[in-house]
Amino acid sequence: MNWVETAWTMMIAASLMLGVVHLFVWYKQRSRYANLMFFVLAVSAAAYGAYELARMQAETPADLATNARWSHVPLAVVVISIVGFVRLYFNAGRLWLACTVIGVRLVALALNFLTGVNVNFLEITALDHLQLWGGAVVAGPIGIPNPWAIVPQLSNLLLVVFIIDASVTLWRRGGTVARRRAALVGGSLSLCITTAGSVAALVVTGVVHAPTVLMPGFFLVVLAMGYELVWDLASAAQLAAQLGASEHRFRAVVEAVPSAILLVNDKGLITLANAQAETVFGYQRAELVAKPVETLIPEHLRTPHAGLRSGYAGDPRARAMGADRELFARRKDGAEIPVEVALSPMPTRDGLFVLVSVVDVTERRNVERATARQRDDLAHLSRVAMLGELSGSLAHELNQPLTAILSNAQAAQRFLAQSPPRFDKLVEILADIVKSDHRAGAVIQRLRSLLKKEESQRHALDINEVVEESMRLMRSDFLSRQVLVSTDLAETLPMVSGDRNQLQQVLLNLVINGCDAMDGQAVDRRLLVRTRATVNGNVEVSVVDRGAGIPVANLERIFEPFVTTKATGLGLGLAICRSIVAAHGGRLWATNNPECGATLHCELPAKRD
Amino acid sequence: MRAPAPTVYVVDDDPDVLKAIERLLQSIGLNVAAFSSPHRFLESYDRNAPGCLVLDLALPGLNGLDVQRVLEQQASVLPIVFLTGHGDIAASVQAMKHGAADFLTKPIDDTALIAAIHEALARDQVSRPAQLERERIAKRLAMLTERELQVLELIVAGRLNKQIAAELGTTEKTIKFHRGNLMRKMGVRVVADLVKLAQRAGVGATPGT
Repeated sequence: MNWVETAWTMMIAASLMLGVVHLFVWYKQRSRYANLMFFVLAVSAAAYGAYELARMQAETPADLATNARWSHVPLAVVVISIVGFVRLYFNAGRLWLACTVIGVRLVALALNFLTGVNVNFLEITALDHLQLWGGAVVAGPIGIPNPWAIVPQLSNLLLVVFIIDASVTLWRRGGTVARRRAALVGGSLSLCITTAGSVAALVVTGVVHAPTVLMPGFFLVVLAMGYELVWDLASAAQLAAQLGASEHRFRAVVEAVPSAILLVNDKGLITLANAQAETVFGYQRAELVAKPVETLIPEHLRTPHAGLRSGYAGDPRARAMGADRELFARRKDGAEIPVEVALSPMPTRDGLFVLVSVVDVTERRNVERATARQRDDLAHLSRVAMLGELSGSLAHELNQPLTAILSNAQAAQRFLAQSPPRFDKLVEILADIVKSDHRAGAVIQRLRSLLKKEESQRHALDINEVVEESMRLMRSDFLSRQVLVSTDLAETLPMVSGDRNQLQQVLLNLVINGCDAMDGQAVDRRLLVRTRATVNGNVEVSVVDRGAGIPVANLERIFEPFVTTKATGLGLGLAICRSIVAAHGGRLWATNNPECGATLHCELPAKRD
Repeated sequence: MRAPAPTVYVVDDDPDVLKAIERLLQSIGLNVAAFSSPHRFLESYDRNAPGCLVLDLALPGLNGLDVQRVLEQQASVLPIVFLTGHGDIAASVQAMKHGAADFLTKPIDDTALIAAIHEALARDQVSRPAQLERERIAKRLAMLTERELQVLELIVAGRLNKQIAAELGTTEKTIKFHRGNLMRKMGVRVVADLVKLAQRAGVGATPGT
């Protein structure tokens, strides 16, 4: 066995080996068609190599001609698979050029069987025995060139153009990997095909006496491509390792987060839960995974939730869930707990996953409730104290209807005592008595409600009604303090959502303060209560007095507890008013009027339906 | 000549109370004029007609005591029965000092109110002629010259013509002349009547003036 046989056998075996390796790669990852193409290329190159080795050992011109003719079959497959490989692997190259290359090559293959002894020779007349380096002797063809030999050459030329074009496209895309690939694969392919084509042309035309050896070139191509593909595999493995590390980090982060974290897939099934989720929901992690996320939702909310979930899939944004209302989750023991939930979408190849972060806010709600209760208690205390201050006025408000009732009743008695009795008068007298009784009843009702200690309740309120009612309650106070009160109420006002007693308390407090501010002055004791809609759609109530005004330094301080300008009183009134208004989502502030006196403004948000 | 029926004026800003009191007073056949605003009352009451006023103490703008003051300034003798929601002692003392007829606390018992009104009307009946006379005298006094007023004061003080002449630095004859004129203007024939009139009008009430 001479070195040519050894070398060719090794190249054939190596090509087959590499090809089979990539067949396996493709088999594992069916989307890697480049590997499949490489397999076809490597196997057909090996097949061609086997023909080439036999040809160099041909003993008759006829043997050589037959061998050469059949070797064009694997050659055509090599060309086609090169085209396919470049298209798939570079994701570049013009399709029409690719089709032309393949078309011309198929025409060459046809001509190979239809003309001469093969597409290169019309006739092979003799064997050219060539002495190679190292004493090896190989056979080469001598004969009449086939004029159709131009066709495979054209195919080669087009193939080179196609490869260079694809390589340039790849190169232009930029990036080190793409550029190396373009240079290495594109360069080696172009070089080998050009060399092979030239050698064949020179041998066929008899310019050079040599065997048409293509296998070493193909082998180099196979090596270059194989290197690239292996590099891909290596980087995929590296990526996989990084991915593993990244997933490890992700899990570590998820575990470390102090809130419960759930990963929910597009079917609403939990795919991941952290340790905190076990604490919050009372389930073991294994119990949660693969369960529908609705397991953790109170039963009566499960059906609507599924609808909301598909709604979220339609508009996946990172956001807080149910920001405007209280949310509840269901623990394994059936207990419902108040929670805050944040959602972040995670689009994956397996559909839209949602990362759900759940915080148990039971403790916070308890604290909030306790704070609210304290505020209500304090508000109630100060309301009772304020009503104490107003007791004279309130008694008078009861006394007026009682006076009317008594006088009406006694008038009726006297009309009846007349002869003949004046029954005609009774109808309207009784109607007036009923009216006055209702009036007294309303005052008592309001008083009872203001004095009652109950948790704050929100209702839709017409603030104008609250103003008018407060004005009625304070009527006698205004009279005895000789304050002239006027109201300027906006006709169309949005409703506000609030606690009637508390808002009335605020208003009464502001009005009493306004009267107090004018206590010392002999004239111009006038107070205006005004309502209006603000530009941003809220409701503002203002109490305008004509007193001495508030020193600028005190405009904010008057809302602090225990700050008072009065001889009596704790200085809690305005502080409590502000806390009530704040709890209603509104604000309370003071300004001085241009000419004299101050205005207390109370802005309340309009009720949203 | 019989006097015209007296009018009971009622002023209260609470329409329910006002209507009820008006009705109560009408039930006993009184002639009632009801006003919800003190200004309207002051514009329309007849100071020369007999009557009385039932006045709420707590009124917006012009309160009961203010109304009493205005009536006083207008030299009205209309007796006032005050109504008050709560027993305001300071206000009632002030009202009584300025001659209020009565001071009643709401709710008002009808007998107390009717009694107070009758008393007020009786008082009006008495004080009204005296007031008329006072006004008549005042009108006459207004016709006197300054010299005649000086002479009148001295007559009331009990001086003789001669003493008066000496005091005023003139003759007794001149004093007699003034004296005749002022007796005629005051519509009296004898000195005793003149002195009575002058005293009623308060002339020379304080010695030394």
